[in-house]
Amino acid sequence: MRKKEKASVLHIRRTAGDWVFEAAVVVFFCVFTFICVFPFYYLLINTISDNDLVTSGRVNFYPMLKDAEGRAAFGVQLNNYAALRNVQDLGSSVLVTVARTVLGTALMVVTSAWAGYLVTKQKMWKRSFWYRFLVVTMYFNAGLVPWYMNMLMMGLTDNFLAYIIPGMVAPYNIILVKTYIESIPSSLEESAVIDGASTVKVWLRIILPLSVPILATIAIFGAVGNWNSFQDSLLLMNNRPDLYTLQHRLYIYLNSSSNLGAMMSQGGTISEQAAQSMLNQRVIQYTVSMVSIIPILLVYPFMQRYFVKGIMLGAVKG
Amino acid sequence: MSTAIQALPREERESLGRRLPLWVFRAAALLAGISVFFPPANPGRISEKINASASLFTTGVSYGTITNSMGRILRSQWIQDADIKLLMLACVAVMAGVILCGAGGCMSLGNRKMRRAGLALPLIGAPVMGAGLLLIRRTYDRMLAHGEEVGKLDKLGIMVPDGFWVFCAFAGLLFLTALIAFLSTGKEADPAAKMEMEEKYRLFLMMLPVILLSLVFAYLPIWGWRFAFFDYTPGGSIGADNYVGFKWFSFLFSDPATTKDLLRVLRNTLVMSGLGIATSWLPIAFAILLAEMRSTKFQRFVQTFTTIPNFISWVLVYAIAICIFSTDGFVNSFLTNVMHVSGANTNYLQIADHTWLKMLLWGTWKGVGWSAIIYIAGIAGIDQQLYEAAKVDGANRFRCIWHITIPGLIPTYMVMLLMSIAGILSNGMEQYLVFSNAMNKDVIEVLDLYVYNIGIGQNRISLSTVVGISKSLIGITLLFAANGISKAIRGESII
Repeated sequence: MRKKEKASVLHIRRTAGDWVFEAAVVVFFCVFTFICVFPFYYLLINTISDNDLVTSGRVNFYPMLKDAEGRAAFGVQLNNYAALRNVQDLGSSVLVTVARTVLGTALMVVTSAWAGYLVTKQKMWKRSFWYRFLVVTMYFNAGLVPWYMNMLMMGLTDNFLAYIIPGMVAPYNIILVKTYIESIPSSLEESAVIDGASTVKVWLRIILPLSVPILATIAIFGAVGNWNSFQDSLLLMNNRPDLYTLQHRLYIYLNSSSNLGAMMSQGGTISEQAAQSMLNQRVIQYTVSMVSIIPILLVYPFMQRYFVKGIMLGAVKG
Repeated sequence: MSTAIQALPREERESLGRRLPLWVFRAAALLAGISVFFPPANPGRISEKINASASLFTTGVSYGTITNSMGRILRSQWIQDADIKLLMLACVAVMAGVILCGAGGCMSLGNRKMRRAGLALPLIGAPVMGAGLLLIRRTYDRMLAHGEEVGKLDKLGIMVPDGFWVFCAFAGLLFLTALIAFLSTGKEADPAAKMEMEEKYRLFLMMLPVILLSLVFAYLPIWGWRFAFFDYTPGGSIGADNYVGFKWFSFLFSDPATTKDLLRVLRNTLVMSGLGIATSWLPIAFAILLAEMRSTKFQRFVQTFTTIPNFISWVLVYAIAICIFSTDGFVNSFLTNVMHVSGANTNYLQIADHTWLKMLLWGTWKGVGWSAIIYIAGIAGIDQQLYEAAKVDGANRFRCIWHITIPGLIPTYMVMLLMSIAGILSNGMEQYLVFSNAMNKDVIEVLDLYVYNIGIGQNRISLSTVVGISKSLIGITLLFAANGISKAIRGESII
């Protein structure tokens, strides 16, 4: 940044052309940012407004409720989110998705950290062969149907483990960890070895604590990937709807022509009238969408630097 | 390890005759270990009614999986419950034997003392395997006898599976090679010697689980390519009677309907990838313009919000598309309420016009902010002195961009471009799957989606495998070509 300020000293004097150019670029970025953000905002206000107003297309720019005289006015309600607990099958898919996000990410990170450390070991028997053996799988795959038949053969269809085990070995992440560990001064490791630490101990006590930044990066990428997972659920869980991931469930909701309200069981606590106004397919679709976006939006601002670091590290060839 | 590990004595290292049985033993142990998870080699499938996709492992641990197509047979007691339990026990015994052999194989990489101990394990393990196999044979006899008793033998399809003989061969081979290797490994002379292993093998064994996982989930699917050479129907089997050679490969060109579909799908794929490649400079423009902004706060603000769409799934993008463009979405209600256009109730998602362009725009919306990051970092890495020197020489903003920034980003861009050319046939299926509907399915179906539709949707496993194989082979060829070009031009490989 300091360098940049120094450079800008050179063009303190802006010409009229500069002003026009910069204004145009600012406008462009504002518009583009708006286009990126507004859909999320619009989705949100549709889920927290009065459902009748939403269906009649009255909610455009801010959340609205009906006031005492039935006119639309600014207001917020959260009943749609409360009503979600009555939407069939949603609970199980949230549980499955959370479970796979936590377990799958944890196992993937441990495996990547372990394998990434081991492939830095020059002494390993046929090290570079095994490293290439892992990395080649990034560029080559046998195809969708052979992959599916393989999973079928392994008994990993209609099985929760299908979400966890195949994702454990992530070659790209192994490369990232390896590159990172290679940047750690080897003297640290050597001194521990001289003190009699075993390979596992060195990994646990020295390598893991020092590679927390890269592990956080791959963890956050892995977690987002798991949370967004859709394809494996679509392909593998044909006979187990209770194992559908959240995105798969949402995909089904978005495509169901039948009224989603009919899918809601009769909740005892909600009055007939209130339930009626909640039986709105669109609003339920929007609310489920919002539920699956919210975790990402919440995590994102805090993790952005890790995301950026991740892609930058990826630019370093493995 | 504080002490260097003693290498094996020299004469023992050199003798091939001594090492051969050892390596055969290790290879056999590895193969047996993999076969445990390999349904075609399941020794426990002694009835055709046992799930064909159950491996030895599944047969040993999952009662539900092996019996899930037996309904009536079990209910009517044509096969006795106790026999299935016996079968499971037998399979567990076989697996225990394989585990002992595998552990022995690992330990045989150690020093003399460890190797001897390791090679003693299969001398127990292989007989355990044999006992398990005998038990399977016994279960077979019992099922046969019981089936005859109830007179339903023809319904049960009792058989001795190929896997039974495979595992018999494994057990024999493992025992024999382990015995020879054990006998040729002399007893450790030094009674104080400890079990140790050379570091290179220790590290390798630590890595082995990861290698095996990769083998099973990334390499083993290639075994599925065999379906391309058979007339395979799901749930059926493959064998000499439905072997068709290259029929499905020529089918792609000889069957008019398939050829037509394939051409249509290829056109869609190439057009959409082509549009993607044609607009692949957009992230660069984005990054350059953003770098021209003076306020770093504004830069960070834009960067933060434009990268968000990259992190939501295509299903959510579709949800957003519905929210904005469907009949009751934002566009229509905006036209009605704000612009007072009457009758604005078009469902833009159902209109097939300009589908390719729309898909490109969604892709751009989702990806451009994210793709720009790498170029933004690239710009930050350009030496500022270049700009200062250029300005001293009277270069204006555009000249600086043209002569300094863009040349600085070209190497990164070339890598990205070559990678996207290598991946021209793989646009993924999620985006096109979620956006496809009855109206646009002809123009939106790309190769990946086509493979999914015919393979999983229509159960034409063999045909879609053929398409998939062709795609994989073309893809890897393009990748090597791209790599070759990169090496020739930049002297650096991209993979």
